Amino acid sequence: MNKKIVYVLLLLSARVSAQQIDTAVTDTGKVKKLKEVIVTATRSAKELMSVPMPVSTISNKEIKNRGLVRLDEVLNEQTGLSVLPDAHGQGIQVQGFAPDYTMIMLDGMPVIGRTTGILDLTRITTNGVDRIEVVKGPVSSLYGSEAMAGVVNLISARPPLGFSSSVAARYGTNKNADLNFNAAYATDKLSVSGFVNRNSTGGYSLVPGSGSPTVSPYHGYTVNGRITYKLNANTDLLLLIRNYTNTTTNNYSVDSGQVAGKGFESNFSISPSVTRRFSEKLTGQLRLYRSTYRTTSLLNYTATNAIYDDTYFNQAFNRAEVQGDYQAYAKLRLTSGAGGQYETVDATRYDTRQSFTSGYAYMQGDWTPFKKLNLIAGGRFDAHSVYLSQFSPKLALSYRLSDNFVVLGSTGKGYKAPDFRQLYLNFTNAVVGYSVFGYEEVAAQIAKLQQQGQIQTILIDPSTLRPLNAESSTGYNLGYRYRPVKSFMWTVNFFRNNIRDLIDAEAIAIKTNGQSVYSYFNIHSVYTQGAETDLSYHFLTHWTLAGGYQYLQAYDNKVLHQIKAGQVFGIDPKIRETVKVTRQMYGGLLNRSKNMANARISYQDDKTGIVASVRAIYRGRYGFSDLDGNGIVNRDDEYVKGYVLFNASVSKLFYHNQFRFQLTGENLGDYKQPLTISNLPGRLLYVGFTYNFSKQ
Amino acid sequence: MNKLQTLALALMSTPVLLMSACSKNNDNTVAPAATIKTNTVADLDGSKGAVYYSLAGNSVVTGADTTGTKWDIKFSGTGIFVNGGSSGTGTAQAQVVSSTFADLTTAPTSGYKADATGAAAITGWYTYTATTAPQHAILMVPGKIIVVKTSAGNYAKIEMKSYYKGNPDTTTPAFADLTTRPASRFYTFRYSYQANGTTSLQ
Repeated sequence: MNKKIVYVLLLLSARVSAQQIDTAVTDTGKVKKLKEVIVTATRSAKELMSVPMPVSTISNKEIKNRGLVRLDEVLNEQTGLSVLPDAHGQGIQVQGFAPDYTMIMLDGMPVIGRTTGILDLTRITTNGVDRIEVVKGPVSSLYGSEAMAGVVNLISARPPLGFSSSVAARYGTNKNADLNFNAAYATDKLSVSGFVNRNSTGGYSLVPGSGSPTVSPYHGYTVNGRITYKLNANTDLLLLIRNYTNTTTNNYSVDSGQVAGKGFESNFSISPSVTRRFSEKLTGQLRLYRSTYRTTSLLNYTATNAIYDDTYFNQAFNRAEVQGDYQAYAKLRLTSGAGGQYETVDATRYDTRQSFTSGYAYMQGDWTPFKKLNLIAGGRFDAHSVYLSQFSPKLALSYRLSDNFVVLGSTGKGYKAPDFRQLYLNFTNAVVGYSVFGYEEVAAQIAKLQQQGQIQTILIDPSTLRPLNAESSTGYNLGYRYRPVKSFMWTVNFFRNNIRDLIDAEAIAIKTNGQSVYSYFNIHSVYTQGAETDLSYHFLTHWTLAGGYQYLQAYDNKVLHQIKAGQVFGIDPKIRETVKVTRQMYGGLLNRSKNMANARISYQDDKTGIVASVRAIYRGRYGFSDLDGNGIVNRDDEYVKGYVLFNASVSKLFYHNQFRFQLTGENLGDYKQPLTISNLPGRLLYVGFTYNFSKQ
Repeated sequence: MNKLQTLALALMSTPVLLMSACSKNNDNTVAPAATIKTNTVADLDGSKGAVYYSLAGNSVVTGADTTGTKWDIKFSGTGIFVNGGSSGTGTAQAQVVSSTFADLTTAPTSGYKADATGAAAITGWYTYTATTAPQHAILMVPGKIIVVKTSAGNYAKIEMKSYYKGNPDTTTPAFADLTTRPASRFYTFRYSYQANGTTSLQ
């Protein structure tokens, strides 16, 4: 079974549940809801409680109630996820993995367009979603490259029957504005829905007087369309189209003066698919996907109008995929699929247009030998035109100790392919004079530099280089879900990820100008491990209390060995003398908080139409930089202090829930660390409303 | 069933206990009683050109003496040179050892080099930050102890501490700002000199 079928099933069985495009406000305590299903973990609909992997969902209703509009805002309030501040956008850290290693999907298809590995989550509106599913742990067995730390999948909402439409707006601090217009029409056979979203900000500057804003003003549009058509009783068609464009107005100071100009970003995707039930047991799906991502940026000196920087980046991703689901008998379901991909990129920093071709096949068995035990085994094979082939197996099982206590364990392999940059970059810094070449370029480029007499010393002979391998990890997850009563849920998960062949740049030659030539190598091996727990409790009809906590350790194995050998030194900040770094001093990988927690209390009363919640998000201290020249975090002043953010929202619904008025506050404590945390502009206050034209 | 649940809970909570119970290894090594003196030289001024230093005499060497064997090491910009090879008329040699100053209680018996053109014996004791903050700064690399075998055949160990006047805290905004950064080529270091010709440096 697959997603499409899920929609159909939901459509048939759930007119009562009335999932509107927007504000569905039904009291969970009173209305009997469908059992929560997850499609991302197994590529088939599975009831949440029995999925043998750590998964969570965030409903559209919850997102709306909290007054959140972009994906980064939503994910930052989830246990164990932290949105990292970075010059290249707001990425997500999962189980201690950097943002490069979590796949972000829209209806099961990967979102492309990563700048130095980071997919900027502010790009993605949460308008039009039914729910967001988060799977933690490697899922490369189903999704291939990038699904190493986990997967975040936004599932689009299915419109209710008839005409429906709504408008929504949120405006506040920093001229942050988010506007939506949604419209839909649906019959039993056909549904057409779409929305336009405009998101803009006036930007902000954490260091006034620096001449450079921390975030520049921008405005972006998302136009989204979704069409389903029931061709006959057994055949369904689905078409998804989405286009995102963003214009940033840059104006900042560089060493040589003030520069200004526009930056454009666009991401277009289209995905038609057909699903057919061949028999009671067999369902097949064919899905096509094309996505393009483009950026251009032009900066001129304000004084002279001379060009400071002029760059572009064009990426295209094409995929064709078939999937079959076969219910062999009641206890065994087989899912398998195969696909082909063609990707291209051309950019300022690449010599020519580069392309990848890859093919893959996956298979999964979902077996319930007896009622209490569920076993899922599968694997995926990826063959690639440039780097080594990958096989990613996965094994997961859940055991019901009782009706309300499920133990789950899983292990699997995840990988991330070398990206275009690591393979094809051809970049020489015009000011300083160093060069960086991708693996595929380096031999030819060094030979060229040698001919020109620009090479002083070769440190690593390019002819001895081993092919760049994909980064890979083996993940282990073990935990339980405990739901003694319907209003109480407690989950625990322990995780460990052994990650090897991490790619980093290293000097390969020294130029006659004294600068180095860098290329990419499989260098580091690291591990992350920890535990995560989530609690939620619904009480006194209207109230929900919830909390979560994650403990995390993330270390570089090489550094650990060197520390053991007594070969790592630091400088005591008080006396400025060398000290030996011990295991206790080593703070592990940068940007990882050992402790993260969140708490939430929410109130919902359908009679008065009042919905409110207060959330606290704690991020423990994390390593930020090396100050004593040893490349690692080992001193207190190398950390960013821990902090708590308080977010709150309150809504009032009028006219049979057709109109919602909402106040939202983020970072109410006005917490800022201007020099270290670029994505905390201080207190943000918003006022918002939603109006549904149709009665609900 | 209940037993199983309890067991599962117990098993699963064990790793938490293990992870949170950080072992407390005390790495306090008791410093041996010093039998040779450690001298600290603060703000040795190399801002007006190379400065020559006698480790035996704990003093700056100037004038005609800079062409003889009275000096042991010379500071010139980011270079530290020994009196020998391409740098001087003496026979001094040196090497850089990875250690803390205190832990290096015995000088290595081999591995020394004299300066040669383009290949100084003393390297790797500093790092140039280039465009990473603090920009364009010379910072000490921790754990690089310079061991010198002087022309007289005596051993000394040196730990460089600062390249800037007043041995400033290099993590402050005032240091990061090039307009308020203290003057460079003011060397602060500490050293121990063993006058009896043995390799003992404690």
